[in-house]
Amino acid sequence: MNCYHCGAELAENDFCTSCGADVKVYKKIIWLSNHYYNEGLEKAAVRDLSGAAVSLKQSLKYNKKNIKARNLLGLVYYEMGEIVSALSEWVISKNMQNKKNVVDDYIKAVQSNPAKLEEINQSIKKYNLALIYCRQGSMDLAIIQLKKILLVNPKLIKARQLLALIHLKNGDYNLAAKELKRAEEIDSNNTMTLRYLRELELVRGKKVNNVTNEPRRENKVTYKVGNDTVIQPKEYKENTGMSTVINIIIGLLLGAALVWFVVVPAKVSLTRTEADAEIKQYNEQVAAKETAMEEMETNLSDLESKNKSLQQQIEGYEGDNGVLTAYDSLLKASALYLEGKSTEAAEAVSGITEQTVNGAKEGFQIMYAKINSEVMGKAAKEYYDNGYAAYTKGRYEEAVENLQKSFAIDNTSVMALYYTARSYQKMGDNENAAKTFQEVIEKFPGTKSARDAQANLPSVTTTTE
Amino acid sequence: MINFEEELKKFHPSLEVEEAEEAIYNHDMTDMMDILKEIIKDSKEKG
Repeated sequence: MNCYHCGAELAENDFCTSCGADVKVYKKIIWLSNHYYNEGLEKAAVRDLSGAAVSLKQSLKYNKKNIKARNLLGLVYYEMGEIVSALSEWVISKNMQNKKNVVDDYIKAVQSNPAKLEEINQSIKKYNLALIYCRQGSMDLAIIQLKKILLVNPKLIKARQLLALIHLKNGDYNLAAKELKRAEEIDSNNTMTLRYLRELELVRGKKVNNVTNEPRRENKVTYKVGNDTVIQPKEYKENTGMSTVINIIIGLLLGAALVWFVVVPAKVSLTRTEADAEIKQYNEQVAAKETAMEEMETNLSDLESKNKSLQQQIEGYEGDNGVLTAYDSLLKASALYLEGKSTEAAEAVSGITEQTVNGAKEGFQIMYAKINSEVMGKAAKEYYDNGYAAYTKGRYEEAVENLQKSFAIDNTSVMALYYTARSYQKMGDNENAAKTFQEVIEKFPGTKSARDAQANLPSVTTTTE
Repeated sequence: MINFEEELKKFHPSLEVEEAEEAIYNHDMTDMMDILKEIIKDSKEKG
């Protein structure tokens, strides 16, 4: 113990041996502070936390620098769930004794888990909110908040007491008892907890007494027969065979009714639910299959159109007017031309259309132009010669056939057309003769053949008319 | 019989972490030692 005036170590004397200050009262105060600290320590040891807090606060009122008392007060607060109050005491203690102070460990332990600290801070805020709810009369909301708080900070005595008070008010005595017992486990001698427990006992005692005091219903009838007192139950039924049968029948009927009204509807409902589920499943399957079919149909349609397009391409190559046929005809015509068969070669070439030639490769076009020019002129002449020979020999049908072919190849051959008309005239086919003479006149005006045709025209025309 | 309203008045809001600093600053730190020193000081001045 040091002198409050000079700080020197004090001896057993009532004055300071260093500065001479009177330390009698000072020593008394220190003694009282230590006494209350010891009392607080003893109470804390038996979990009388609120009592300990009172003693320790008293100790600090005598000597605020009683570090041990302050540290213990912080621990008591911590144990009661009052983290902020605990921290406050520890911070003050640390401020007063910076070195060799056990609160370093306490503060470090709290600060090492900031998440937990935040959680506890939230629980304190919720407690304050619950208190507001209580004052506003919103007990349900307050109960919800308090239950949440106690999950996070189960040692918060105040919250347990408040929850117990609400339960007491609501008449939920069992719940209130549960909370108060838990509060008692944390702080064994808390005045408020004890008072609520006593109140609870009183209320429960009243209820039990009320139940006990209810008049019993007499279940017996007493009467006298002569000198004997007969005590008989109020309701007596003889258990005969018939009543047993009736009871069994009633039981069976009740059982049947139970099955009919409870079991059957449940079974039907279950079956219906299963059927609905199956129908739903089938519908889904059908929908999936329909979708697949639609996809397949679309694919089929695409394939058909592709097939058609390919068929057209093949026809373009292999058909009557196809490229391959044209190549074949041109090769045949070349072979026949080389054999000197101009007319056959011309027939082969005539099968090739202008469209095919235009659409063919350049080599084909050159070859076609060459064969066509070589063959056609000779073929036209050959047909004409054959036709004219037949005309002179009186074979007019053969003449018409050859001369028409000649004119078809070479449409500048006026003679071929004229002798065709003449052959018709000789055959007596005046109609065709007149038509052909007319063609000669129109296509080759001013030629000798046209004049001859003009001269012959009246004879066939008159005959026709 | 407990009066709920009266009992409720005995419950006070708890200190939140944000309020800790202010609580420490406003903590009444006067103890018997301070009073004793004050009395001795006064008596010396008067003496």
